[in-house]
Amino acid sequence: MKRVFMSMVIVLVIVSLMFTACGKTPETAAPGTSSSPSGSPSTDSGSKDKTVKLTYFNTSAEVNEMFEKMFARYNELFPNVVIELIPTGIGEGQQEKLQSLFASGNGPTFMNVDPANVIEYQDRLVEFTKDNAPWLFEYANESAIEGGTFGGKVLGAPWSVQGYGLLYNKRIVDQVYNGQFDPTTINTRDALQAFFEKIEAAGIPATMLHGANWSLGGHYLTLTYAVQGPATTDGTGFIDSIKAGTQKIEDSPIFQGYMDTLDLLVKYNYNKADPLVADFNHDILAFAQGKCATFFMGDWAWTSMVGLENFDTEYGFIPVPWSNNPEDYGNTEVVMVLPKFQCIDKSQNTEEQYKAALDALGWMLTDPEGQQFFLDAGFYMPYKNVRTDIKYNSMTTSISEYASRGKTINLGCFSYITGDAWTETGNLMLKYVAGAINRQELADGINNYWRSVK
Amino acid sequence: MISRKKSLKNAGLFITFMGPSLIAFTCILVIPFLYGVFLTFTNYNPVKGTKDFVGFANFIAIFSDKEFMTQFLKTLLYVFYSTVFCNLLAFILAYILTSNIKTQNFLRSGFFTPNLIGGIILGYIWKFIFANVITQLGHSWDFEPLKTSLLTHPDRAILAMIIVTVWQYAGYLMMIYIAGFVGIKKEVLEAADIDGAKGMKKLFYITIPSMVPSFIICFFITISRGFMAYDLNLALTNGAPYGSTRLASMHIYQKAFQANQYAVGQAEAIVLFIVVALVTVTQVMLTKKYEVEA
Repeated sequence: MKRVFMSMVIVLVIVSLMFTACGKTPETAAPGTSSSPSGSPSTDSGSKDKTVKLTYFNTSAEVNEMFEKMFARYNELFPNVVIELIPTGIGEGQQEKLQSLFASGNGPTFMNVDPANVIEYQDRLVEFTKDNAPWLFEYANESAIEGGTFGGKVLGAPWSVQGYGLLYNKRIVDQVYNGQFDPTTINTRDALQAFFEKIEAAGIPATMLHGANWSLGGHYLTLTYAVQGPATTDGTGFIDSIKAGTQKIEDSPIFQGYMDTLDLLVKYNYNKADPLVADFNHDILAFAQGKCATFFMGDWAWTSMVGLENFDTEYGFIPVPWSNNPEDYGNTEVVMVLPKFQCIDKSQNTEEQYKAALDALGWMLTDPEGQQFFLDAGFYMPYKNVRTDIKYNSMTTSISEYASRGKTINLGCFSYITGDAWTETGNLMLKYVAGAINRQELADGINNYWRSVK
Repeated sequence: MISRKKSLKNAGLFITFMGPSLIAFTCILVIPFLYGVFLTFTNYNPVKGTKDFVGFANFIAIFSDKEFMTQFLKTLLYVFYSTVFCNLLAFILAYILTSNIKTQNFLRSGFFTPNLIGGIILGYIWKFIFANVITQLGHSWDFEPLKTSLLTHPDRAILAMIIVTVWQYAGYLMMIYIAGFVGIKKEVLEAADIDGAKGMKKLFYITIPSMVPSFIICFFITISRGFMAYDLNLALTNGAPYGSTRLASMHIYQKAFQANQYAVGQAEAIVLFIVVALVTVTQVMLTKKYEVEA
């Protein structure tokens, strides 16, 4: 009897322990309501002897180490600020991790995230103003600041620029053209076709498409929105009118033009026997070894090439022309995009924390020592005070040349292509490339997708 | 009085032994499950922080999600074929490996090995085999059907998934069937021999009926795992080509975390749970009927 009683007591103790543990869920501040949750005893940001602990959520998984070194150095300079990195892996569920951090009340102080996330989390973020972040407005390029502006507020600090278009292998193209190739001559679809035919005549497959939904949906199809006009609102307005049902995508000559060009790319595709294999390493290897002359991809391809042996190092970009009028917007430009933004959370971090975060971010992005970390990792930073004596890889150099001539497509609307948009429309694009649907069915599918999104 | 004391003692013993696991089970399975059911009636969104009651709206939304329906049918096909072929192959292997052939111990562990490799790694290995090795063979033999990867055509990609599933689970089920074969009483088999039952007849009238418990457990394993297949799906096809091989679990995951419709995804998960529960309970009840006492 005594034993039974004891065991019941033990069980009761365990149960009560478990329930108190379960019950202690941290209070999450409703977004947008309070800026500093009560709980931290000190709000005096001036006190020097108190250490402030910040957390940094990073989705640029390839440079986790770079951020770690940067934070260690920052801690040497400012011993009262400790920044802890929350790393994520490539292909790991990054969005899910961020969602769970916020759902459990442990929202990170900084976030380095995709533009779509900035929109999702906008109610939680600190707005950058000339008062709290003067460094941003003094040094960042105007277009980059505009890219980080969402709903009239600057919520994301830009830090790197990437670009995409039709990459070409200079060694191969120079072989065919005897070193006389001028990329600016490819400004119409006919010129592109002539270029492809000339290369094919030399026995080299002219181009390559990567048969993945992010490449064809996220990058190629997005061109048809972005090229509607140079302003971000031109692209988003076009999408909005498709959503509203007042516009059908197939009625846009730009869509039709890009699809004609896509047909051309499909015709000369190196992977045309099996276009949907979508093995990135395989495609990178084939392109780096000169098995085909051009590749619809961006300058991030370089990072994947560095590890290869005996690969070509000289590349350049040519635009993807959609019409036969060289004056049309998009025919002489390549895409320039701000793939990631730095944001600061105020919904679950104290005022002291986010003020310290603003200072740290200023140092990272505009102090020469902070910038050096990004430059060493090969990033092209959209800031006016960046050292000019840096030698970038050939792809980034080519993008920056287009940028210096003002020949870039503003991909601002890309930020608004959120959620499963590029997976779903990308899957339709893959069907089209594989010949499973025709162009009208593709257009219907895209229209239907946008109308189903609230 | 005595009986009351005894029942109290029994209850005490029950709590001592069952209590801890019951609490653990409640905390990590029952409570989250019930909370999950609760979430299906709200417009839960962890990013925006909303959790308002919306009634059955999420369940109604499932019916307008045509994709979920088609993927669900595809999942049923996948489960059906993988269950049939897994068990067929496992049974044949077990039959051969209990008929006293040489190297049977070595072969048993060999067939079991694929099950020790995790689904993700297995998926990547087979992806490489389908996309690179087989296509290479197709080119060197100049054999047209092998030249393109199995993974780039919607119907063939499902076939590829079934092949890998069979490869992964057949060895595991084989072990269960071997135990079933070994567990048949010698006297029964001898009696059958004396009565003149031979070969196939002995297999169908004596061996298989005595092994019904093994069939119950093996079918249960393949059916329930088939419905919930995710890791292999992710690593091998990730929905490719063009989203045609997203099985139910993957569709639910993408609905919740990529399309950011958490509550709808959760409602679909509950529907999947009910279907899996119904199918497996029916299967166990139906097969139990064939159980015989030796």
